[in-house]
Amino acid sequence: MIDNSETRANREFAVSLGLLALVALAPLVVANEYWLGVLVVCMYFALQAAGWNLLAGYTGQMSLAPAAFAMIGAYGTGLMAYRYEQPFWVGIPVGILAAALLGWGLGRAALKLSGPYLGLTTLSFAEIARLIIGNSYDVTRGDLGLSVPGIFDARLAYYYLFLAVLVVVQVGIFLTLKSKVGLFLQAIRDDEIAAASRGVPVVRWKVAAFVASSAICGLAGTLYAHFAQLISPELGLIMQTGFVISMTVIGGMGTLVGPILGAFLVYLGSEAVRDFGGWHLIVFALLVIVVARFFRDGLWGLVRLAWTRRRLPPAAAQPAVGTR
Amino acid sequence: MLALDLAVNGLITGVFYALMAIGLSLIFGILRVVNFAHGEFYMIGSYAYTLVCVALGVNPWLALPVALVAGGALGWATERTLMRPLYAGYSSWGNLKDEYAIIVTFGLSLLLINLVDKVIGPYPMRGPGLVASPRMALGPFMMSGQRLIAAAVGLAVIVAVFVLIRYSFWGKQIQAVAQNRLGASLAGIDTAKVSALVFAAAGALAALAGGLLAPLINASPDVGVFTAIKSYVVVVLGGMGSIAGALVAALMLGVLESFAAVYISYDYRDTFGLVILVLVLLFRPHGLFGQRGREV
Repeated sequence: MIDNSETRANREFAVSLGLLALVALAPLVVANEYWLGVLVVCMYFALQAAGWNLLAGYTGQMSLAPAAFAMIGAYGTGLMAYRYEQPFWVGIPVGILAAALLGWGLGRAALKLSGPYLGLTTLSFAEIARLIIGNSYDVTRGDLGLSVPGIFDARLAYYYLFLAVLVVVQVGIFLTLKSKVGLFLQAIRDDEIAAASRGVPVVRWKVAAFVASSAICGLAGTLYAHFAQLISPELGLIMQTGFVISMTVIGGMGTLVGPILGAFLVYLGSEAVRDFGGWHLIVFALLVIVVARFFRDGLWGLVRLAWTRRRLPPAAAQPAVGTR
Repeated sequence: MLALDLAVNGLITGVFYALMAIGLSLIFGILRVVNFAHGEFYMIGSYAYTLVCVALGVNPWLALPVALVAGGALGWATERTLMRPLYAGYSSWGNLKDEYAIIVTFGLSLLLINLVDKVIGPYPMRGPGLVASPRMALGPFMMSGQRLIAAAVGLAVIVAVFVLIRYSFWGKQIQAVAQNRLGASLAGIDTAKVSALVFAAAGALAALAGGLLAPLINASPDVGVFTAIKSYVVVVLGGMGSIAGALVAALMLGVLESFAAVYISYDYRDTFGLVILVLVLLFRPHGLFGQRGREV
């Protein structure tokens, strides 16, 4: 069985589209407004997780700022509506642009940093952004939050808007990975110096990954702002970034299926067991640690492992977890 | 007079930053990773102190060692279960060790915050102070007696840590592992034991800071989040891995923040340190104290 970066991307893309098809059919069964809302929030996190996965999982840049970019996007469109009374089709591009520009700045600035240094820089960026938005009462109303007009009346319309955007983003990431850019990004992740020595324009694609990832997270934030109709600086809390990272890791970091699988399983799971007295976040944090410690490729890695074992005789089966 | 008052208060704050940052720096020195759960060691310390005092009615001075031991045990367990793959070579993450370390320590931080939130409750708890008199005079200044005593204890512990690392047998082993893990192991040093020791010490120091400040800050599940961020600023400013640099940087940051909060902006008092962190990382990644910062 040929198993390389490209066939893997094809397979993962097909599976992720299958998952999204299930999501598209879900409203047939789920008529409840509350659960539709829960699924929309799942997609909000799935978008952020997909954006973060592109940067951290495929390019190896451990950013700790995805939620901050979502907050920036949300405030971009929120301020456009609140201060300048612009409609959403002006506000959303402004929010995405703001996130992309700041992502470009952060990516440029952090070009030479790696590992823990990059983690600390992006974490500080996220906190600075949150503190500035939280303290600029004159502009953003600070911790009071900002009310944002909605786009639709029906929750189902938001549902399919989020789903459509998620599919477009997923297709975009898939096409990127299929092109030589995808190989560039993964080469940068695996060994930056070796990649540069083979002629990969490391600087350009590292910054591009930052911009794309920030723009996707910003997009998630703009949509969420119009859906929730109330935004606050809490969107950018470190805890929110923790959720995004946890979902990606549990689903499978550096895979196309991981972020979507993780976002839905974790968020739906935590909603389902919420009634049992708030243990959901503990289970969830424990799961992140266990998955990172023992199953690097997450749930998707386990599925793949089970599949390989079934297809091949035991002696020929290669361990799929941890091999790339 | 105000300026002097601010300086003294800033130095006292700096002592607590130093307790946190020295542990972080030691960990970075031997494992080259940042412990993103460091704030939660601090949080556990403040709860251990408060609970032992309040629930068991123990004398606060005896509760401090309990906090120390709780933090040490947590640090040791963290190293044993999560950090060992970084150097023992049985992790599936290959050369992506930094990613692994960030994810597991971040996950540990989430776990501890939510566990405490669930088991003990989200409401802030206040522990009794170490001294009865609320205000004390230090020369011409009046200040909170608890703050003053806590800083004195903290300073004594910091001096002890410096002496131990410089002169004791274990301290020399830590220095050796920080300089060269392979070389140290060839010289017969049990590097795994040293790593566990360092993590336990770092956890104990952070928990001690939490215990000392518990009467002032009120223990709550997320109390460590911002303290941890402050200590990241300090370790970066002082040069990652340098404990002398961490001490100097901690005192500097304490003083700087106390002045900036008054003379620049109170609302943005928490952003100054972060801006410094970003600037130092961008322009002087080895910290203000240059290459000397590479030593332990």
